[in-house]
Amino acid sequence: MLPAYYQFYCPVKILSGENALGNIPFEMTLLGRSSAMVVTDRGVVEAGLVARLESAFADSDCRIGFIFDEVPPDSSNRIVNKLAALFREKGCDCFIAVGGGSAIDTAKGANIVISQESEDLLELQGADRITADMKPMIVVPTTAGTGSEVTRVAVIFNEEKNVKMSFVSDKLYPRVAVLDPAMTQTMPPRITAATGMDALTHAMEAFISIQKNPLSDIFACRTVDFVRRYLIRATENGKDREARLGMANAALFAGIAFSNSMVGVIHALAHATGAVSHVPHGAANALLLPWGLEYNLDVSERAIAELSCHLGGTREFLDLREQAGLTISLVRNLLDRLNRVSGLPTRLRDAGVREDKLPDIAGTAINDGALLYNPKEVSFEDALGILRKAY
Amino acid sequence: MKGALQKKFRRLRGKPWMLKLWSGVKYRYLDIVLSVLAAAFEVTATRVPELREEIARWEEGRTFALGVLPKGPAITLIREEGRIRYLGKGLRFPRVSFLFKNLDAALPVFSGLMGAHHALAQCRILVNGSISDAMELNRAMIAVQTYLFPGFVLKRILKRPPKLGFRQMILKGKVYGALVPALFRLGSGGKN
Repeated sequence: MLPAYYQFYCPVKILSGENALGNIPFEMTLLGRSSAMVVTDRGVVEAGLVARLESAFADSDCRIGFIFDEVPPDSSNRIVNKLAALFREKGCDCFIAVGGGSAIDTAKGANIVISQESEDLLELQGADRITADMKPMIVVPTTAGTGSEVTRVAVIFNEEKNVKMSFVSDKLYPRVAVLDPAMTQTMPPRITAATGMDALTHAMEAFISIQKNPLSDIFACRTVDFVRRYLIRATENGKDREARLGMANAALFAGIAFSNSMVGVIHALAHATGAVSHVPHGAANALLLPWGLEYNLDVSERAIAELSCHLGGTREFLDLREQAGLTISLVRNLLDRLNRVSGLPTRLRDAGVREDKLPDIAGTAINDGALLYNPKEVSFEDALGILRKAY
Repeated sequence: MKGALQKKFRRLRGKPWMLKLWSGVKYRYLDIVLSVLAAAFEVTATRVPELREEIARWEEGRTFALGVLPKGPAITLIREEGRIRYLGKGLRFPRVSFLFKNLDAALPVFSGLMGAHHALAQCRILVNGSISDAMELNRAMIAVQTYLFPGFVLKRILKRPPKLGFRQMILKGKVYGALVPALFRLGSGGKN
């Protein structure tokens, strides 16, 4: 269905394929830059992925100005300020973020500090408050799930005020996203499964969101196709380059979809589960996905039903409700298979969540902005109900 | 006859003075509706239990605003001593604000034709400030709308329109009753 009005934007140049990494110096030249600040974490360095990036600069006039490898699992304003100071000190003129969501968000955060010249990041929270042009940013994801390489969002933890700050602006889009299968093949099976399910959740929530539009739908559907085709393969055999590249593309498509149509109750609950019980975001999304779809079933029956054929279901002889039910059961089958292959938890209790924490999680979730875009209203009691079912 | 009238109206609509006049009408209308909303916030915050419960969790002195960009009408309110108080017109350094991109973007929402969630989905609104504060403000807005608008409007603008019981209908009547003096008070520049 065509919405009365919609907006769609994705200005990111995408390089996808074997040895895509080798094109980074050339892309820097096109951007008129010569010295890059690489933002990453210790794990990525130890896996030898930054060495791969360095080798790409061997025969280039462009250079790596500095490698910042102190990114923690949750990006914070202290790290962001430190990175911004180093960027200025080392005379760098662009960012290359190598890693998962945290490395990418840290680079985005430092870019805000540098470009906006603001002392207090809190003032810039919210949508479209960033007006200054950013330093060019190239992103090399090493996980296949967050989609941060093509999103306009950055989330930074404020250590002094103990709050997560969200920044949403078109200025935060990276300039180039580089998908190289070599950069994701060291991911362990469980993380591969969790991040893959994160991408699937981005796509499915984008497809049923109240901000969905025909363009985001295209990306969402193709994500579901790719997840069905490649996620089990990539989880079972990490060296399967085609599956790795397929999942990297799936995550990117999902990123484009949800950046333009947003997510909903599943993400709100997953964010809260992460904040209260420290469950990894991908794993929380994965186990909450079928329950969130079920919750939205009565208002998004058609959209959920449409996804079944992308998950490998048939369309014959089924009415809308049965078709939507088929989608949910196919998601559960996928989750069970991933559980067998990688040990990905399928219940909140298996993910280490205590039952007495469920009200805290529900209370946190109802203050999550993602709920605004969910097709169905979600109260505290509704959120608690979904959590109890998923427990 | 009808076609001729429509043609004339269309021609008029394109005239620069007509555009200016129409824009002025929209500005005045939204200014009035925002003033009504400010009064409704003050009144419901003292009478409606759901809203009292919601703002009880807010910290003292939290300011919030609703308005229209770039230079449209706006109101700022503050949470003070467990109540909501109208600070005045314009954006007075609010901690969180819902701002419509232009007068046309705001018109259907403030005319009860479109819900805030649809306006957000159609990129008509900007949210400034913490998302968590914005969610709390959104819940407060829903409580105000519930007691301000009739049922047929609520069906159109809320994702899940509430089913009001007898006591709540009586409360709604009391809110309407208190709204008129509150409007006069705000109109004459008086404060709570």
